[in-house]
Amino acid sequence: MLQYVTLTIDGAKVRAPKGTSVLDAAVHDGICIPHLCHTPDLSDIGACRLCIVEHVRNGTSKITASCTLLVQEGMMIRANSDRARKLRRNVAELLLTEAPNSRAIQDIALRCGVKEARYPFRNNDCVLCGRCVRTCTELYRGNAIGFVGRGKNRHVEYPFGTRPDTCVLCRACITVCPMSIPPCDGPMKRGEERFCGKCESQLQIPQYESGDCVRCDLGRGFSCARHR
Amino acid sequence: MSQPSIETIVGDRKSQPHQLIEVLQDIQEVYSYISQEAATAVSHYLGVPLIEVFRSASFYKALSLEPRGKNVITLCTGTACHVRGSNPLLDQAQALLKLDHDHGGTTKDGLFTVECVNCLGACAIGPIAVLNGVYHPHMTSAKLTSLIAAVREAEEMRGTDAQT
Amino acid sequence: MPRLKAITELFDLRAQLQAARAAEKTVITVCGGTGCQASKSLAVIDEIRAELKRQQLDASVKLRITGCQGFCENGPIMVIDPRNLFYCRIVPEDVKEIISQSVAGTEVIERLLYTDPATGKKIRTEAEIPFYRAQDRVLLSQNRQIDPCAIEDYVAIGGYTALAKVLTEFAPEAVIAEIGASGLRGRGGGGFPTGKKWASCRAAAGDEKYVVCNADEGDPGAYMDRSVLEGNPHAVLEGMAIGAWAIGAEQGYVYVRKEYPLAVAHSRQAITQAREIGLLGANILGSGFNFDVQVARGGGAFICGESTALMASVEGKVGEPRAKDVHTVEDGLWHRPTTLNNVETWANCPSIINNGAHWFASKGTEGSKGTKIFALTGQVRNTGLVEVAMGTPLRRIIFDIGGGAINGRAIKAVQTGGPSGGCLPASLFDLSVDFETLEKAGSMVGSGGMVVMDEKTCMVDVAKYFLAFLLDESCGKCVPCRIGIDRMLEIITDISEGRGRPEQIPLLEELVETVQETSLCALGKTAPNPVISTLRYFRDEYLAHIREKRCPAGVCRELIAYVIDGEKCTGCGVCLRACPYEAIKGAKKEPHIIDALACRKCGICSEGCKFEAITISSGGVPCYSM
Repeated sequence: MLQYVTLTIDGAKVRAPKGTSVLDAAVHDGICIPHLCHTPDLSDIGACRLCIVEHVRNGTSKITASCTLLVQEGMMIRANSDRARKLRRNVAELLLTEAPNSRAIQDIALRCGVKEARYPFRNNDCVLCGRCVRTCTELYRGNAIGFVGRGKNRHVEYPFGTRPDTCVLCRACITVCPMSIPPCDGPMKRGEERFCGKCESQLQIPQYESGDCVRCDLGRGFSCARHR
Repeated sequence: MSQPSIETIVGDRKSQPHQLIEVLQDIQEVYSYISQEAATAVSHYLGVPLIEVFRSASFYKALSLEPRGKNVITLCTGTACHVRGSNPLLDQAQALLKLDHDHGGTTKDGLFTVECVNCLGACAIGPIAVLNGVYHPHMTSAKLTSLIAAVREAEEMRGTDAQT
Repeated sequence: MPRLKAITELFDLRAQLQAARAAEKTVITVCGGTGCQASKSLAVIDEIRAELKRQQLDASVKLRITGCQGFCENGPIMVIDPRNLFYCRIVPEDVKEIISQSVAGTEVIERLLYTDPATGKKIRTEAEIPFYRAQDRVLLSQNRQIDPCAIEDYVAIGGYTALAKVLTEFAPEAVIAEIGASGLRGRGGGGFPTGKKWASCRAAAGDEKYVVCNADEGDPGAYMDRSVLEGNPHAVLEGMAIGAWAIGAEQGYVYVRKEYPLAVAHSRQAITQAREIGLLGANILGSGFNFDVQVARGGGAFICGESTALMASVEGKVGEPRAKDVHTVEDGLWHRPTTLNNVETWANCPSIINNGAHWFASKGTEGSKGTKIFALTGQVRNTGLVEVAMGTPLRRIIFDIGGGAINGRAIKAVQTGGPSGGCLPASLFDLSVDFETLEKAGSMVGSGGMVVMDEKTCMVDVAKYFLAFLLDESCGKCVPCRIGIDRMLEIITDISEGRGRPEQIPLLEELVETVQETSLCALGKTAPNPVISTLRYFRDEYLAHIREKRCPAGVCRELIAYVIDGEKCTGCGVCLRACPYEAIKGAKKEPHIIDALACRKCGICSEGCKFEAITISSGGVPCYSM
């Protein structure tokens, strides 16, 4: 027997079962909160920090990731306030300048309002979203890949660099990877990384004011949680 | 020269996944690093997926996935030691031992490993260098040079002793 | 020693031990802490044992080896009672003379007395030494009286009385009320009211609860916890037992960082001894209360000082923090209610129970009660552990206790609170050291680290140092920390290497806000603090680096040049031989020259120059001569 709670997100009353995350509750009701590492059917790790919202309590608001915040009765959330959008844009800018060579990443940056990239571009092949790792571990129980190393050296790898027997080459990891979707003109050359700003999500959003979902095609083949 | 087997080191901690880090530290103390064989054995005895063993071994600085040198020089780079001049010590060690990393490494002959640690808690007597577990306070580049030379000499004598 | 089965037996044992202690006519106390060990105190101790035997005094003289006294720079330290004679910087060769003259005889060996650097006078007793005199060593004074490897010492000075009191007179809620009334706030950096934490944990749902001691002390420059855990592990264990009784736990963990091998060894030994005597384990002192403790070692990760990462580590996983929307007092170790407190916090609990909440609250300020141990290090004359009441002005700690600057230089700033804290300029030294005041000024009490910096410290370099440290220690899970700190470091590195542009400052400030607000855990959230505080108080240094490509303190290697003053150089060749990069050339007795292209600005040459002939200049302006 599901217990429901009612919370307010951007002024709208949302009903969701207890145990749901604020992000899931919002997306289910058509309120768009951008996200990257959140994937349906996988655990939430709160790594990308794109889904941050303002949690208003006792007159103060705290910035927190909505994917790891569970709904509570009477909760007050501001997902698309100026403050949330500014911070989200800056996080997306960090992500973009780290790994621009992906249409999904460029789409997300645009969707989050990034207009210019103020840091020198790098060209990493991985954004450490953990979709592959969690897919392998939680969905297929392969335990074949994991996050290895710490800080800047954190990367995804097989144990000791060797593909273990538990990996059956199902390729589910590749399917969920945002970097596997190259930008329109193909992979960018090293040293020539750029933010072209022409991805489809941008073309579909006129002047974006509210948090309503516009059903943007966030990187073909890399659907956001709304696009089941 | 018999080192205890991995099974012996694991001891009565079999099937206790939460003991992973303690077990790996014990193995590090005996073997000076975590080899693939050791990790596979730990994975088996503790019931932890190999990828998790590998993750921990790569995450924690106290654990090493590469064999370490016979003599380990630990330089403290904590705030107090930094303010008192720990950088020149690293310069000195790297130049003397011909290491190319900016933060230490192991010499090709496997005699020395230089590593940096972010504070040993002996701040009042810094800069500190630890050689094989012995703390040396008020380190200077000159003292470090003598220390390394002394170890080299001892190793050479051990080498000649072994030959006779 | 026999196993104690009732509280009366504890009191009997204590009376016996106190009588034995009172009968000790002559006692030699030597510090065996990590600092003094580094100064070879173990060799001194061995020599004392041998010499006492040789002079046939081993039966009548008691040798007590204590833990860290927090005065490490003057170690090895020795006190001879009943004369209360204080000797320092002892070498094994001094021992024979000490035993003959000062132990068997009544002489004082002048050269072994402490010399006050300010007056040059010799001082005989510990209490007269200015460093000690100005302190209030409520907790640290216990280190002086006990051998951490002998539970008898702790019992003799009244140890475990508080636990006995709690088991007989205090219901759990009463303990929580007493700790709450004392005003004790977390000593690890968070400053959270301890009573409130215990109350939430007690109220949390769950039959199995835990108490954890955070002895990870990763802040570079802080070693208070090392000293307390090495030197007085039973105070920590007793505190944990009291806490466990209060919240309803039966199992505790002490998480000690691996870099403290002596603290690991002493806590393990203390637990073994407490178990043997019945002060840990089942049915403690016949009360029906069960409590046991295990030691878990850290693996060399600063992030494991964060509560959720620490608990992940105890669970055998990598130390990655998790979101704290649900607190660890409800969902902690193995998802069970857990009370995690710092070493110093736990160690303060027995005295609060023994002396009462009023006693503790009588010291300190309105919002910050009691005493706190600080680790005073850096460019001061007297470095060491300083215990003072909260609310003591910075000036008193740095000058009265610390003795002011070394080498006649000017003190520029003090960095408090470790990598999460900030730098406060000399103009703010009248500020009182308490949680609220330091936070308002842009720094924090943190775990207690206090690094004094003088004019030879570059504040841009300090910001760079802390950012590099935090980037190295970041777990790497979330974007703002892993990438944000990296980009802040990139900007500051540009500035320190002469590539700084004015527009980078507002970008840096925006990045600071993003990292602070959106990071997952406190490491990321507080990472910008050194940047914020140095920008606030030392902006002129940043601007000099950017506009003039000049490092006023002569530290940033890309912006400085080492030059040999031809007039002062005697051509002795010391620097030429010392240079690891062979960058110095010159014939004997002729002025030497540094090849600017080969020079890596490491400074080793200047360490050995006796003629002050090596100058550092930056932006065409000399900084100072060495």
